[in-house]
Amino acid sequence: MSSTATVFGTEVPQPVQHGKPGGIMRRLNLVTALIGGIGLALVLGFIASRLVPSGASTSTFAPVAPDIVYLAVLVGWVVGFSVGIGAFVGPIRWLFARDLTHDDAEYLAGRGQGWHRYFKFTTDHKVVGIQYLVMTMVILGFGGLLAMLIRTELGITWAEAFSPTFYNSIIGTHGIAMIIAMILAVTGPIGNFIVPMMIGSRDMAFPRLNALSFWLLVVATIPLISTLFVGGIQDGWSVYQPLASQGTPAMLGYQMTIIVFAISTGLSSVNFLVTIVTMRAKGMTWSRTPILVYGVFAAALMGLYAFPFFQYSQILSLTDRIFDTSFFDPLQGGSVWLYQNLFWLLGHPEVYVILIPALVLLMEAMVVFLRKPLFSYKFAIAGVVGVMALSGLVWAHHMYMSGWAPAANYPFMLSTELISIPVGFLVMVLIGTLWRGRVWTRLPMMAVYAVVFNLMIGGVTGIYLSDVPADQYFHGSMFVVAHFHYMLMGAGLFGAMGGLAFYFPKLTGRLLDERTASIGFWMAFVGFQVTFLSMFVAGLQSMPRRVLQFDSQFNVSNWVSTIGAYVIGIGMLIFAGALIASWILGKPAPANPFGSKSLEWQTPTPVPLENFAVLPVVTQAPYGYGVPDPYDAELMKKDGDRVSPGAGTQ
Amino acid sequence: MSDTTTPKTQPLSPTTGEPMSAISRRAKGALWSLIVMDAAGTIALVISYAYLWGLNVNNGWAPPGASLTGAETDNNLPSTAPTGSFAVEWPFWAILGMVILATLAMWFGYKELGRGNRAGMLVGSTVALVISVVTLVAQWIQITNLPFGPDEGAYASAVILLLSSNIFNLLIVIFLLLGMVNRTRKRLITPTVSYQAKMMSYWMVWLCIAFLLGAVCTTFMVESPNLDPITFGTFTISS
Repeated sequence: MSSTATVFGTEVPQPVQHGKPGGIMRRLNLVTALIGGIGLALVLGFIASRLVPSGASTSTFAPVAPDIVYLAVLVGWVVGFSVGIGAFVGPIRWLFARDLTHDDAEYLAGRGQGWHRYFKFTTDHKVVGIQYLVMTMVILGFGGLLAMLIRTELGITWAEAFSPTFYNSIIGTHGIAMIIAMILAVTGPIGNFIVPMMIGSRDMAFPRLNALSFWLLVVATIPLISTLFVGGIQDGWSVYQPLASQGTPAMLGYQMTIIVFAISTGLSSVNFLVTIVTMRAKGMTWSRTPILVYGVFAAALMGLYAFPFFQYSQILSLTDRIFDTSFFDPLQGGSVWLYQNLFWLLGHPEVYVILIPALVLLMEAMVVFLRKPLFSYKFAIAGVVGVMALSGLVWAHHMYMSGWAPAANYPFMLSTELISIPVGFLVMVLIGTLWRGRVWTRLPMMAVYAVVFNLMIGGVTGIYLSDVPADQYFHGSMFVVAHFHYMLMGAGLFGAMGGLAFYFPKLTGRLLDERTASIGFWMAFVGFQVTFLSMFVAGLQSMPRRVLQFDSQFNVSNWVSTIGAYVIGIGMLIFAGALIASWILGKPAPANPFGSKSLEWQTPTPVPLENFAVLPVVTQAPYGYGVPDPYDAELMKKDGDRVSPGAGTQ
Repeated sequence: MSDTTTPKTQPLSPTTGEPMSAISRRAKGALWSLIVMDAAGTIALVISYAYLWGLNVNNGWAPPGASLTGAETDNNLPSTAPTGSFAVEWPFWAILGMVILATLAMWFGYKELGRGNRAGMLVGSTVALVISVVTLVAQWIQITNLPFGPDEGAYASAVILLLSSNIFNLLIVIFLLLGMVNRTRKRLITPTVSYQAKMMSYWMVWLCIAFLLGAVCTTFMVESPNLDPITFGTFTISS
């Protein structure tokens, strides 16, 4: 310790400062990362192409060289990009005992670096939140474009726009791209930007881990896109075995994406859990913690235990393909059911990782626009906890028709139907809060209506699918596709859009052009109903999913769905256009434009690096708007708080 | 080298100015979360092992030479266990023993640090590092001397992946122990700022559990109990 620095008014001894603050991180950014990633990918790919004999083939007579070369390219990309962005600098500094000084930390947080900080390994949670926002929009745009191609193919029933293999590729790539985007949609941007402020903290618990999580997401995205150029993911987003082992080298791209994405999500989950548990403001007891924080906590916890199963399903797939192991090869003692179990152990909790944050985000918004407390805050918590607890017990309802353990179908049917109870709690809280409310009709409130409507349809159709006899009829049909789009897009994406509209002024420092955004929002909503209600009809008529050619009896429903999809596309473009235009040209936003009482709105806009000059102390339960609900009044009394209309902050 | 004095005020984090106790609390939270995450991955591997062991699909669990044929078993356990090419069991336990020794050394160091003896921490973490490196070498020797390759059945695949997971875990531990030794040497780990040593000790306990799970699988779940396994690839339509 050679000197001291003043950190929030306290003199703190400092480690030795080596060179300028930030050290080598001053020289690393997206450009160096791209150079590192592409450079190492080319080098390793070249070496692999030289080392692998061109005529070698696997036990299934597939040529070995393309797999090995593509894998070498992917590994080169992952390692090179990570090195180039500075992902390993932190661990190496720790190893050599060169701890960060306060000046180093300030540099890494991006102080005084303007827009450049968005292209670097910046640790400030607000920068990471914006990076997630942009990245999520890019992935959504990519997945959305593929969706338009799918609907175009299905809509022009008199011709074939694409080859069957390319069609299969865009189906699979669309699926996994959208799943990734939806997992990120709320917890990425809003979770990172808003949650630390909402709990009265200056940053996430581990800022460098936060930056690492984001850049690993970038690393993971490129292999996914690259799959389209090496044969494509032709087996749907779930890439069931043994199809994956027999598929094109693109499967390796999928596997690399999932392996890296799971690390990113795992680290992000650790960060959220620790931040929420240990960094809540003084006085913010669990009964005073906003419901969004519970939602993000639940999503992080589900991600923490479930993602490793998904990750290992892909690690085992990769070794089956590259090292000829036989986890999923029945001829050698493997089992394709093992893959399905590992896959769906994440596959179903992931639905709630998407859904819960979107629903609780809308709850945060609606109390502000209704100026009344959340209806039954305790039931909302019970809903979140109930879903979290049951989410790991429902995975096999995706396997009813696989032939795996028929005797297990009924327990899983029961657990799946049980989980509709805590989900019902959450819907009840949304509707109960609306009840007798005086609505200040803004875009986030419109999203509440849209989501409740979609959730009803998605939820009710889900009960049919959870039912074993009904699932025998619906399994593998367009009915399933329509159902999960109602849940993931209808509730998840529309909820995220409402939440984004709510927090837009805080995220960007600008006011959103809500008129234009609302036009886009409602257009997308109407298009959504046209697309997917029609798809339910096709499903009821037994149209199978993932097919390029189909009987002419399905033509009308497919034409209608395609028209609806184009309306969604136009609506989404208008919404995105409104976001971008407002971000660039919008009026500067005041600190708290909606008069919210939450802590995050008590910070200045734009939010300073340290969020709060003095850390806040919470003295009230959340949602102390207007006259409290009689049910919540009991809670307030127990909490020893006095709720006065429109007074005070948390 | 002993630091026996205890400062009256808590040390502060150089980057945030917070008390180190707050930083320590966060680090402990992260440790437990990481253990949950790593445990989920380990459980995925153990489930894979146990699942394939239980199913013995197409009688393909055991490596060639160690598999049980229908004639041998006739739905009864054979009188003598096949002596084909299953892995020798003792190395799994020997490696677990070495990991336990490394963990004990780390705990010794941490406890000594708690008593104000930084030199004890340096000795403990250095010994743990040396044992871990030796364990890594031993693990490598075991994996390269297995009587089967990865393409010789489900048992071979599962064992090799469990051992590969061990190697991955050992590489991480060696990196962390190197950091422990260096940071203790440079007085960044001291009796007053000892949370990293504590975390490392707990992490190594988890490592012992992970290695134990692997050893239990590869010792007590060798021959598949399913002697009338499912046969895929041939179908009969009953009249």
